[in-house]
Amino acid sequence: MTRLSGKTAVITGGATGIGLAAAKRFIEEGAFVFIFGRRQEALDAAVAELGPNARAVMGSVSDLADLDRLYTAVKAERGTLDIVFANAGAGSVAKLGEITAEHIDETFDTNVKGTIFTVQKALPLMGKGGSIILTGSSAGTTGAPGMTAYSASKAAVRNLARTWAEDLKGTGIRVNVLSPGATATELAKAALGEEGQKAYAAMTPLQRMADPAEIGAVAAFLASSDSSFMTASEVAVDGGLAQL
Amino acid sequence: MKTLEGKIAVITGGSSGIGLATAKRFVGEGAHVVITGRREKELKEAATFTERNVTTVVGDVSRLEDLDRLYAVVKEKHGHIDILFANAGAGTIGPLAVATEAHFDQTFDVNVKGLFFTVQKALPLFKDGGSIILNSSVSNVLGLPGFSAYAASKAAVRSFARAWTLELKDRKIRVNAMSPGPTETPALETTTGLTPEQAEQAAAQFASQVPMGRRGRPEEIAAAVTFLASDESSYITGVDLAVDGGMAQV
Repeated sequence: MTRLSGKTAVITGGATGIGLAAAKRFIEEGAFVFIFGRRQEALDAAVAELGPNARAVMGSVSDLADLDRLYTAVKAERGTLDIVFANAGAGSVAKLGEITAEHIDETFDTNVKGTIFTVQKALPLMGKGGSIILTGSSAGTTGAPGMTAYSASKAAVRNLARTWAEDLKGTGIRVNVLSPGATATELAKAALGEEGQKAYAAMTPLQRMADPAEIGAVAAFLASSDSSFMTASEVAVDGGLAQL
Repeated sequence: MKTLEGKIAVITGGSSGIGLATAKRFVGEGAHVVITGRREKELKEAATFTERNVTTVVGDVSRLEDLDRLYAVVKEKHGHIDILFANAGAGTIGPLAVATEAHFDQTFDVNVKGLFFTVQKALPLFKDGGSIILNSSVSNVLGLPGFSAYAASKAAVRSFARAWTLELKDRKIRVNAMSPGPTETPALETTTGLTPEQAEQAAAQFASQVPMGRRGRPEEIAAAVTFLASDESSYITGVDLAVDGGMAQV
Protein backbone atom coordinates (compact mmCIF):
# COMPACT_ATOMS: atom_id res chain seq x y z
CA MET A 1 0.00 0.00 0.00
CA THR A 2 1.18 3.51 -0.72
CA ARG A 3 -1.61 5.47 0.86
CA LEU A 4 0.76 8.22 2.03
CA SER A 5 2.54 8.75 -1.24
CA GLY A 6 4.01 12.27 -1.44
CA LYS A 7 2.91 13.18 2.10
CA THR A 8 5.13 14.83 4.67
CA ALA A 9 4.87 13.69 8.28
CA VAL A 10 6.26 14.78 11.64
CA ILE A 11 6.53 12.20 14.41
CA THR A 12 7.55 13.39 17.87
CA GLY A 13 9.14 10.77 20.07
CA GLY A 14 10.09 9.21 16.77
CA ALA A 15 13.48 7.68 17.49
CA THR A 16 12.26 4.56 19.28
CA GLY A 17 9.24 2.44 20.14
CA ILE A 18 5.85 3.34 18.75
CA GLY A 19 7.15 6.50 17.05
CA LEU A 20 9.85 4.62 15.18
CA ALA A 21 7.43 1.84 14.19
CA ALA A 22 5.05 4.47 12.80
CA ALA A 23 7.93 6.17 10.95
CA LYS A 24 8.81 2.87 9.27
CA ARG A 25 5.23 2.29 8.28
CA PHE A 26 4.67 5.84 7.00
CA ILE A 27 7.80 5.60 4.85
CA GLU A 28 6.73 2.20 3.51
CA GLU A 29 3.47 3.86 2.47
CA GLY A 30 5.30 6.58 0.58
CA ALA A 31 5.70 9.41 3.11
CA PHE A 32 8.67 11.61 3.91
CA VAL A 33 9.13 11.66 7.68
CA PHE A 34 10.72 14.02 10.18
CA ILE A 35 11.39 12.35 13.50
CA PHE A 36 11.88 14.48 16.58
CA GLY A 37 13.45 13.30 19.81
CA ARG A 38 15.75 14.27 22.64
CA ARG A 39 18.70 11.92 22.11
CA GLN A 40 20.93 12.50 19.09
CA GLU A 41 22.38 9.01 19.22
CA ALA A 42 18.96 7.36 19.05
CA LEU A 43 17.89 9.74 16.26
CA ASP A 44 20.99 8.92 14.22
CA ALA A 45 20.39 5.19 14.59
CA ALA A 46 16.75 5.61 13.60
CA VAL A 47 17.55 7.65 10.49
CA ALA A 48 20.16 5.07 9.46
CA GLU A 49 17.46 2.43 9.73
CA LEU A 50 14.72 4.49 8.05
CA GLY A 51 16.73 5.49 4.99
CA PRO A 52 16.70 8.47 2.62
CA ASN A 53 13.10 9.57 3.27
CA ALA A 54 13.74 10.34 6.93
CA ARG A 55 15.19 13.36 8.67
CA ALA A 56 15.88 13.88 12.36
CA VAL A 57 15.62 17.01 14.46
CA MET A 58 16.82 16.89 18.04
CA GLY A 59 14.76 18.58 20.70
CA SER A 60 12.16 18.34 23.43
CA VAL A 61 8.42 18.94 22.88
CA SER A 62 8.34 20.82 26.18
CA ASP A 63 10.78 23.40 24.79
CA LEU A 64 8.96 25.76 22.43
CA ALA A 65 12.17 26.96 20.76
CA ASP A 66 12.97 23.33 19.88
CA LEU A 67 9.56 22.96 18.24
CA ASP A 68 10.20 26.13 16.25
CA ARG A 69 13.45 24.61 14.97
CA LEU A 70 11.60 21.43 14.02
CA TYR A 71 9.02 23.24 11.91
CA THR A 72 11.61 25.57 10.38
CA ALA A 73 13.41 22.46 9.15
CA VAL A 74 10.17 20.98 7.77
CA LYS A 75 9.28 24.21 6.00
CA ALA A 76 12.76 24.59 4.52
CA GLU A 77 12.89 21.14 3.01
CA ARG A 78 9.26 20.31 2.26
CA GLY A 79 7.29 23.57 2.40
CA THR A 80 4.12 22.00 3.78
CA LEU A 81 3.07 19.34 6.26
CA ASP A 82 0.31 16.72 5.94
CA ILE A 83 0.57 14.52 9.01
CA VAL A 84 1.49 15.20 12.63
CA PHE A 85 1.84 12.26 14.97
CA ALA A 86 2.19 13.93 18.39
CA ASN A 87 3.54 10.90 20.13
CA ALA A 88 6.23 12.06 22.55
CA GLY A 89 5.25 11.18 26.10
CA ALA A 90 6.65 10.65 29.54
CA GLY A 91 5.45 8.82 32.59
CA SER A 92 6.74 7.77 35.97
CA VAL A 93 5.12 6.27 39.04
CA ALA A 94 4.15 8.22 42.16
CA LYS A 95 1.37 7.20 44.52
CA LEU A 96 -1.02 9.73 45.97
CA GLY A 97 0.76 10.90 49.10
CA GLU A 98 4.16 10.86 47.39
CA ILE A 99 3.44 13.18 44.46
CA THR A 100 5.74 16.17 44.08
CA ALA A 101 5.17 19.34 42.11
CA GLU A 102 8.13 18.41 39.90
CA HIS A 103 6.55 15.06 39.08
CA ILE A 104 3.32 16.72 37.94
CA ASP A 105 5.12 19.44 36.00
CA GLU A 106 7.41 17.02 34.23
CA THR A 107 4.55 14.77 33.14
CA PHE A 108 2.20 17.55 32.06
CA ASP A 109 4.96 19.58 30.37
CA THR A 110 5.67 16.73 27.99
CA ASN A 111 2.30 15.04 27.58
CA VAL A 112 -0.09 17.98 27.61
CA LYS A 113 1.75 21.25 27.05
CA GLY A 114 4.15 19.53 24.65
CA THR A 115 1.28 18.02 22.66
CA ILE A 116 -0.57 21.33 22.50
CA PHE A 117 2.39 23.25 21.12
CA THR A 118 3.48 20.41 18.82
CA VAL A 119 0.12 20.82 17.11
CA GLN A 120 -0.31 24.58 17.38
CA LYS A 121 3.07 25.25 15.81
CA ALA A 122 2.39 22.74 13.01
CA LEU A 123 -0.84 24.37 11.87
CA PRO A 124 0.66 27.14 9.68
CA LEU A 125 2.19 24.40 7.50
CA MET A 126 -0.96 22.28 7.30
CA GLY A 127 -4.05 22.43 5.09
CA LYS A 128 -7.04 20.53 3.73
CA GLY A 129 -6.62 16.76 4.02
CA GLY A 130 -4.22 17.09 6.94
CA SER A 131 -4.33 14.54 9.72
CA ILE A 132 -3.24 14.99 13.33
CA ILE A 133 -2.84 11.93 15.53
CA LEU A 134 -2.33 12.27 19.28
CA THR A 135 -0.96 9.41 21.35
CA GLY A 136 -3.30 8.79 24.26
CA SER A 137 -3.25 5.71 26.42
CA SER A 138 -5.54 3.06 27.85
CA ALA A 139 -4.40 4.65 31.14
CA GLY A 140 -6.51 7.67 30.21
CA THR A 141 -9.68 5.71 30.94
CA THR A 142 -8.57 3.17 33.52
CA GLY A 143 -7.33 3.45 37.08
CA ALA A 144 -3.87 2.08 37.86
CA PRO A 145 -1.93 2.48 41.11
CA GLY A 146 0.66 5.24 41.14
CA MET A 147 -0.37 6.61 37.75
CA THR A 148 -2.10 9.84 38.81
CA ALA A 149 -0.11 12.23 36.68
CA TYR A 150 0.33 10.02 33.62
CA SER A 151 -3.29 8.87 33.48
CA ALA A 152 -4.67 12.38 34.02
CA SER A 153 -2.35 13.77 31.34
CA LYS A 154 -3.54 11.15 28.85
CA ALA A 155 -7.18 11.85 29.72
CA ALA A 156 -6.35 15.48 28.91
CA VAL A 157 -4.91 14.43 25.56
CA ARG A 158 -8.10 12.57 24.71
CA ASN A 159 -10.04 15.75 25.32
CA LEU A 160 -7.73 17.85 23.15
CA ALA A 161 -9.02 16.02 20.09
CA ARG A 162 -12.63 16.81 21.01
CA THR A 163 -11.95 20.51 21.37
CA TRP A 164 -9.68 20.75 18.37
CA ALA A 165 -12.19 19.07 16.07
CA GLU A 166 -14.31 22.14 16.79
CA ASP A 167 -11.41 24.61 16.56
CA LEU A 168 -10.35 23.07 13.23
CA LYS A 169 -13.86 23.12 11.72
CA GLY A 170 -13.72 24.23 8.12
CA THR A 171 -9.99 23.67 7.74
CA GLY A 172 -10.24 20.11 6.40
CA ILE A 173 -7.76 19.00 9.05
CA ARG A 174 -8.79 15.97 11.12
CA VAL A 175 -7.58 15.14 14.62
CA ASN A 176 -7.88 11.77 16.37
CA VAL A 177 -6.43 10.03 19.39
CA LEU A 178 -4.65 6.69 19.18
CA SER A 179 -4.65 5.04 22.60
CA PRO A 180 -2.29 2.10 22.91
CA GLY A 181 -2.47 -0.47 25.65
CA ALA A 182 0.54 -2.41 26.83
CA THR A 183 3.04 -2.27 23.99
CA ALA A 184 6.26 -4.25 23.83
CA THR A 185 8.65 -1.38 23.14
CA GLU A 186 12.24 -1.75 24.33
CA LEU A 187 11.53 0.91 26.95
CA ALA A 188 8.40 -0.84 28.24
CA LYS A 189 10.06 -4.25 28.29
CA ALA A 190 12.95 -2.88 30.35
CA ALA A 191 10.62 -1.00 32.71
CA LEU A 192 8.18 -3.87 33.25
CA GLY A 193 10.59 -6.78 33.41
CA GLU A 194 9.55 -10.34 32.63
CA GLU A 195 6.96 -10.47 35.39
CA GLY A 196 5.40 -7.15 34.50
CA GLN A 197 5.11 -8.12 30.85
CA LYS A 198 3.40 -11.36 31.80
CA ALA A 199 1.00 -9.51 34.09
CA TYR A 200 -0.01 -7.09 31.31
CA ALA A 201 -0.48 -9.92 28.83
CA ALA A 202 -2.69 -11.76 31.33
CA MET A 203 -4.85 -8.66 31.93
CA THR A 204 -5.39 -8.07 28.22
CA PRO A 205 -8.22 -9.95 26.45
CA LEU A 206 -5.88 -10.69 23.52
CA GLN A 207 -3.52 -12.27 26.08
CA ARG A 208 -0.38 -10.58 24.85
CA MET A 209 1.28 -7.17 24.58
CA ALA A 210 1.18 -5.27 21.29
CA ASP A 211 4.01 -5.29 18.82
CA PRO A 212 4.91 -1.63 18.12
CA ALA A 213 4.28 -2.33 14.41
CA GLU A 214 0.61 -3.00 15.24
CA ILE A 215 0.33 0.51 16.66
CA GLY A 216 2.18 1.90 13.62
CA ALA A 217 -0.40 0.25 11.35
CA VAL A 218 -3.23 2.07 13.12
CA ALA A 219 -1.34 5.37 12.97
CA ALA A 220 -1.04 4.84 9.20
CA PHE A 221 -4.80 4.24 8.96
CA LEU A 222 -5.51 7.46 10.85
CA ALA A 223 -2.95 9.34 8.75
CA SER A 224 -4.47 8.12 5.48
CA SER A 225 -7.70 8.96 3.70
CA ASP A 226 -9.04 5.57 4.79
CA SER A 227 -10.15 7.41 7.95
CA SER A 228 -11.47 10.47 6.08
CA PHE A 229 -14.76 10.59 8.03
CA MET A 230 -13.09 10.30 11.42
CA THR A 231 -12.31 13.24 13.62
CA ALA A 232 -12.29 13.69 17.41
CA SER A 233 -12.39 9.90 17.73
CA GLU A 234 -10.33 7.81 20.07
CA VAL A 235 -9.06 4.56 18.61
CA ALA A 236 -8.12 2.15 21.37
CA VAL A 237 -5.36 -0.19 20.25
CA ASP A 238 -5.21 -2.07 23.49
CA GLY A 239 -6.14 -5.68 22.83
CA GLY A 240 -9.42 -4.92 24.60
CA LEU A 241 -7.72 -3.88 27.86
CA ALA A 242 -9.83 -0.78 28.55
CA GLN A 243 -12.92 -1.77 26.54
CA LEU A 244 -14.72 -4.32 28.69
CA MET B 1 -0.78 -4.74 -1.08
CA LYS B 2 -4.29 -6.13 -0.82
CA THR B 3 -5.29 -6.46 2.80
CA LEU B 4 -7.99 -9.16 2.44
CA GLU B 5 -6.47 -11.43 -0.21
CA GLY B 6 -8.28 -14.77 -0.32
CA LYS B 7 -10.49 -14.03 2.69
CA ILE B 8 -14.10 -15.19 2.90
CA ALA B 9 -16.41 -12.45 4.15
CA VAL B 10 -20.12 -12.43 4.96
CA ILE B 11 -22.00 -9.12 4.90
CA THR B 12 -25.62 -8.90 5.98
CA GLY B 13 -27.65 -6.05 4.53
CA GLY B 14 -25.48 -5.98 1.44
CA SER B 15 -27.95 -4.65 -1.15
CA SER B 16 -27.26 -0.97 -0.67
CA GLY B 17 -25.60 1.74 1.35
CA ILE B 18 -22.83 0.87 3.78
CA GLY B 19 -23.15 -2.90 3.24
CA LEU B 20 -22.81 -2.65 -0.53
CA ALA B 21 -19.94 -0.14 -0.35
CA THR B 22 -18.16 -2.51 2.03
CA ALA B 23 -18.72 -5.47 -0.28
CA LYS B 24 -17.13 -3.51 -3.12
CA ARG B 25 -14.14 -2.50 -1.00
CA PHE B 26 -13.68 -6.04 0.35
CA VAL B 27 -13.67 -7.47 -3.19
CA GLY B 28 -11.23 -4.74 -4.22
CA GLU B 29 -8.96 -5.89 -1.38
CA GLY B 30 -9.03 -9.47 -2.63
CA ALA B 31 -11.85 -11.02 -0.61
CA HIS B 32 -14.74 -13.17 -1.73
CA VAL B 33 -17.98 -11.84 -0.27
CA VAL B 34 -21.33 -13.40 0.46
CA ILE B 35 -23.98 -10.71 0.74
CA THR B 36 -27.51 -11.01 2.05
CA GLY B 37 -30.58 -8.87 1.73
CA ARG B 38 -34.32 -9.24 1.96
CA ARG B 39 -35.21 -8.08 -1.54
CA GLU B 40 -34.07 -10.44 -4.29
CA LYS B 41 -34.18 -7.94 -7.16
CA GLU B 42 -32.12 -5.28 -5.34
CA LEU B 43 -29.66 -7.87 -4.05
CA LYS B 44 -29.05 -9.35 -7.49
CA GLU B 45 -28.61 -5.89 -9.00
CA ALA B 46 -26.20 -4.93 -6.22
CA ALA B 47 -24.06 -7.97 -6.95
CA THR B 48 -23.46 -6.90 -10.54
CA PHE B 49 -20.61 -4.58 -9.47
CA THR B 50 -18.27 -7.50 -10.03
CA GLU B 51 -18.37 -10.58 -12.23
CA ARG B 52 -16.72 -12.80 -9.68
CA ASN B 53 -16.05 -13.10 -5.98
CA VAL B 54 -19.60 -12.34 -4.89
CA THR B 55 -22.43 -14.66 -3.85
CA THR B 56 -25.93 -13.54 -2.95
CA VAL B 57 -28.32 -15.18 -0.51
CA VAL B 58 -31.79 -13.69 -0.08
CA GLY B 59 -32.95 -13.63 3.51
CA ASP B 60 -34.00 -11.73 6.60
CA VAL B 61 -31.64 -11.74 9.62
CA SER B 62 -34.59 -11.78 12.00
CA ARG B 63 -35.64 -15.20 10.63
CA LEU B 64 -33.42 -17.90 12.04
CA GLU B 65 -34.19 -20.32 9.22
CA ASP B 66 -32.96 -17.72 6.73
CA LEU B 67 -29.66 -17.49 8.64
CA ASP B 68 -29.36 -21.28 8.54
CA ARG B 69 -29.81 -21.16 4.78
CA LEU B 70 -27.20 -18.41 4.49
CA TYR B 71 -24.57 -20.35 6.36
CA ALA B 72 -25.43 -23.57 4.53
CA VAL B 73 -24.56 -21.75 1.30
CA VAL B 74 -21.34 -20.35 2.79
CA LYS B 75 -20.35 -23.79 4.05
CA GLU B 76 -20.99 -25.46 0.74
CA LYS B 77 -19.25 -22.80 -1.31
CA HIS B 78 -16.28 -21.86 0.90
CA GLY B 79 -16.20 -24.17 3.90
CA HIS B 80 -15.31 -21.39 6.33
CA ILE B 81 -15.63 -17.67 7.22
CA ASP B 82 -12.79 -15.22 7.97
CA ILE B 83 -14.78 -12.00 8.30
CA LEU B 84 -18.34 -11.19 9.29
CA PHE B 85 -19.81 -7.72 8.94
CA ALA B 86 -23.14 -7.87 10.79
CA ASN B 87 -24.58 -4.83 9.14
CA ALA B 88 -28.29 -5.42 8.52
CA GLY B 89 -30.32 -2.96 10.54
CA ALA B 90 -33.64 -1.20 10.66
CA GLY B 91 -34.72 2.11 12.10
CA THR B 92 -38.08 3.75 11.68
CA ILE B 93 -39.42 6.82 13.40
CA GLY B 94 -41.45 6.06 16.52
CA PRO B 95 -41.84 8.79 19.12
CA LEU B 96 -42.28 7.48 22.66
CA ALA B 97 -45.85 8.74 23.00
CA VAL B 98 -47.18 6.96 19.93
CA ALA B 99 -44.81 4.08 19.08
CA THR B 100 -46.50 0.71 18.76
CA GLU B 101 -45.44 -2.69 20.02
CA ALA B 102 -44.90 -3.73 16.41
CA HIS B 103 -42.46 -0.83 15.94
CA PHE B 104 -40.48 -1.83 19.00
CA ASP B 105 -40.46 -5.53 18.13
CA GLN B 106 -39.45 -4.94 14.54
CA THR B 107 -36.52 -2.75 15.56
CA PHE B 108 -35.19 -5.16 18.15
CA ASP B 109 -35.92 -8.25 16.03
CA VAL B 110 -33.62 -7.03 13.29
CA ASN B 111 -30.98 -4.99 15.12
CA VAL B 112 -30.56 -7.06 18.28
CA LYS B 113 -31.99 -10.55 17.88
CA GLY B 114 -31.06 -10.72 14.20
CA LEU B 115 -27.50 -9.60 14.85
CA PHE B 116 -27.14 -11.92 17.85
CA PHE B 117 -28.04 -14.98 15.79
CA THR B 118 -26.14 -13.77 12.74
CA VAL B 119 -23.01 -14.06 14.85
CA GLN B 120 -23.96 -17.18 16.79
CA LYS B 121 -24.76 -19.16 13.68
CA ALA B 122 -21.55 -18.05 11.97
CA LEU B 123 -19.33 -19.39 14.75
CA PRO B 124 -19.13 -23.04 13.66
CA LEU B 125 -17.71 -21.87 10.32
CA PHE B 126 -15.47 -19.17 11.74
CA LYS B 127 -11.75 -19.51 11.38
CA ASP B 128 -9.75 -18.86 14.53
CA GLY B 129 -8.12 -15.46 14.21
CA GLY B 130 -11.02 -14.00 12.24
CA SER B 131 -12.69 -10.62 12.60
CA ILE B 132 -16.28 -9.76 13.44
CA ILE B 133 -17.56 -6.22 12.92
CA LEU B 134 -20.92 -5.16 14.34
CA ASN B 135 -22.63 -2.15 12.81
CA SER B 136 -23.77 0.02 15.69
CA SER B 137 -24.45 3.76 15.39
CA VAL B 138 -23.50 7.10 16.93
CA SER B 139 -27.01 6.96 18.36
CA ASN B 140 -25.69 4.38 20.85
CA VAL B 141 -24.55 7.35 22.93
CA LEU B 142 -26.67 10.21 21.58
CA GLY B 143 -30.23 11.23 22.29
CA LEU B 144 -32.16 11.02 19.03
CA PRO B 145 -35.78 12.16 19.45
CA GLY B 146 -38.24 9.85 17.73
CA PHE B 147 -35.68 7.07 17.41
CA SER B 148 -35.35 5.79 20.97
CA ALA B 149 -35.94 2.14 20.08
CA TYR B 150 -33.34 2.34 17.33
CA ALA B 151 -30.79 4.06 19.55
CA ALA B 152 -31.32 1.58 22.38
CA SER B 153 -30.97 -1.35 19.98
CA LYS B 154 -27.65 0.07 18.78
CA ALA B 155 -26.43 0.47 22.37
CA ALA B 156 -27.18 -3.24 22.78
CA VAL B 157 -25.02 -3.95 19.73
CA ARG B 158 -22.11 -2.02 21.23
CA SER B 159 -22.52 -4.04 24.41
CA PHE B 160 -22.36 -7.34 22.50
CA ALA B 161 -18.85 -6.47 21.31
CA ARG B 162 -17.62 -6.32 24.91
CA ALA B 163 -18.94 -9.70 26.05
CA TRP B 164 -18.16 -11.48 22.80
CA THR B 165 -14.57 -10.23 22.87
CA LEU B 166 -14.14 -12.27 26.02
CA GLU B 167 -16.23 -15.24 24.88
CA LEU B 168 -14.22 -15.57 21.67
CA LYS B 169 -10.77 -14.61 22.92
CA ASP B 170 -9.49 -18.18 23.09
CA ARG B 171 -10.28 -18.54 19.40
CA LYS B 172 -8.40 -15.28 18.69
CA ILE B 173 -11.49 -13.91 17.01
CA ARG B 174 -11.64 -10.14 17.35
CA VAL B 175 -15.02 -8.46 17.82
CA ASN B 176 -15.49 -4.75 17.34
CA ALA B 177 -18.40 -2.39 16.98
CA MET B 178 -18.26 0.34 14.35
CA SER B 179 -20.49 3.37 14.78
CA PRO B 180 -21.17 5.43 11.69
CA GLY B 181 -22.55 8.92 11.92
CA PRO B 182 -25.13 10.15 9.43
CA THR B 183 -24.25 8.63 6.06
CA GLU B 184 -25.41 9.39 2.53
CA THR B 185 -27.33 6.18 1.96
CA PRO B 186 -30.78 5.62 0.49
CA ALA B 187 -32.02 4.40 3.88
CA LEU B 188 -32.96 7.84 5.23
CA GLU B 189 -35.41 8.37 2.38
CA THR B 190 -36.61 4.82 1.90
CA THR B 191 -36.78 3.03 5.24
CA THR B 192 -37.22 5.48 8.10
CA GLY B 193 -40.85 6.41 7.45
CA LEU B 194 -39.94 10.09 6.99
CA THR B 195 -41.55 12.09 4.19
CA PRO B 196 -39.15 13.31 1.45
CA GLU B 197 -39.31 16.81 2.99
CA GLN B 198 -38.58 15.46 6.48
CA ALA B 199 -35.73 13.34 5.13
CA GLU B 200 -34.20 16.35 3.41
CA GLN B 201 -34.52 18.42 6.57
CA ALA B 202 -33.02 15.63 8.65
CA ALA B 203 -30.05 15.34 6.26
CA ALA B 204 -29.36 19.07 6.49
CA GLN B 205 -29.75 19.03 10.26
CA PHE B 206 -27.40 16.06 10.59
CA ALA B 207 -24.75 17.81 8.51
CA SER B 208 -24.96 20.85 10.78
CA GLN B 209 -24.49 18.64 13.86
CA VAL B 210 -21.34 17.02 12.49
CA PRO B 211 -18.08 18.88 13.19
CA MET B 212 -16.89 17.93 9.70
CA GLY B 213 -19.95 19.75 8.36
CA ARG B 214 -21.25 16.97 6.15
CA ARG B 215 -22.60 13.44 6.16
CA GLY B 216 -20.25 10.53 5.52
CA ARG B 217 -20.07 8.70 2.23
CA PRO B 218 -20.68 4.94 2.28
CA GLU B 219 -17.14 4.43 0.90
CA GLU B 220 -15.68 6.21 3.93
CA ILE B 221 -17.50 3.91 6.32
CA ALA B 222 -16.45 0.93 4.20
CA ALA B 223 -12.79 1.97 4.52
CA ALA B 224 -13.05 1.86 8.30
CA VAL B 225 -14.81 -1.52 8.22
CA THR B 226 -12.05 -2.84 5.96
CA PHE B 227 -9.47 -1.64 8.47
CA LEU B 228 -11.25 -3.56 11.25
CA ALA B 229 -11.59 -6.63 9.02
CA SER B 230 -7.90 -6.73 8.14
CA ASP B 231 -4.72 -7.51 10.06
CA GLU B 232 -4.09 -3.75 10.12
CA SER B 233 -6.21 -3.76 13.29
CA SER B 234 -4.70 -6.93 14.78
CA TYR B 235 -4.45 -5.43 18.30
CA ILE B 236 -7.92 -3.88 18.31
CA THR B 237 -10.78 -5.76 19.93
CA GLY B 238 -13.81 -4.84 21.99
CA VAL B 239 -13.82 -1.23 20.78
CA ASP B 240 -16.55 0.95 19.37
CA LEU B 241 -14.92 2.70 16.40
CA ALA B 242 -16.73 5.98 15.77
CA VAL B 243 -16.74 6.95 12.10
CA ASP B 244 -18.97 9.93 12.54
CA GLY B 245 -17.19 13.09 11.46
CA GLY B 246 -16.93 13.88 15.16
CA MET B 247 -20.70 13.95 15.77
CA ALA B 248 -20.73 11.99 19.03
CA GLN B 249 -17.19 12.93 20.07
CA VAL B 250 -17.23 16.62 20.91
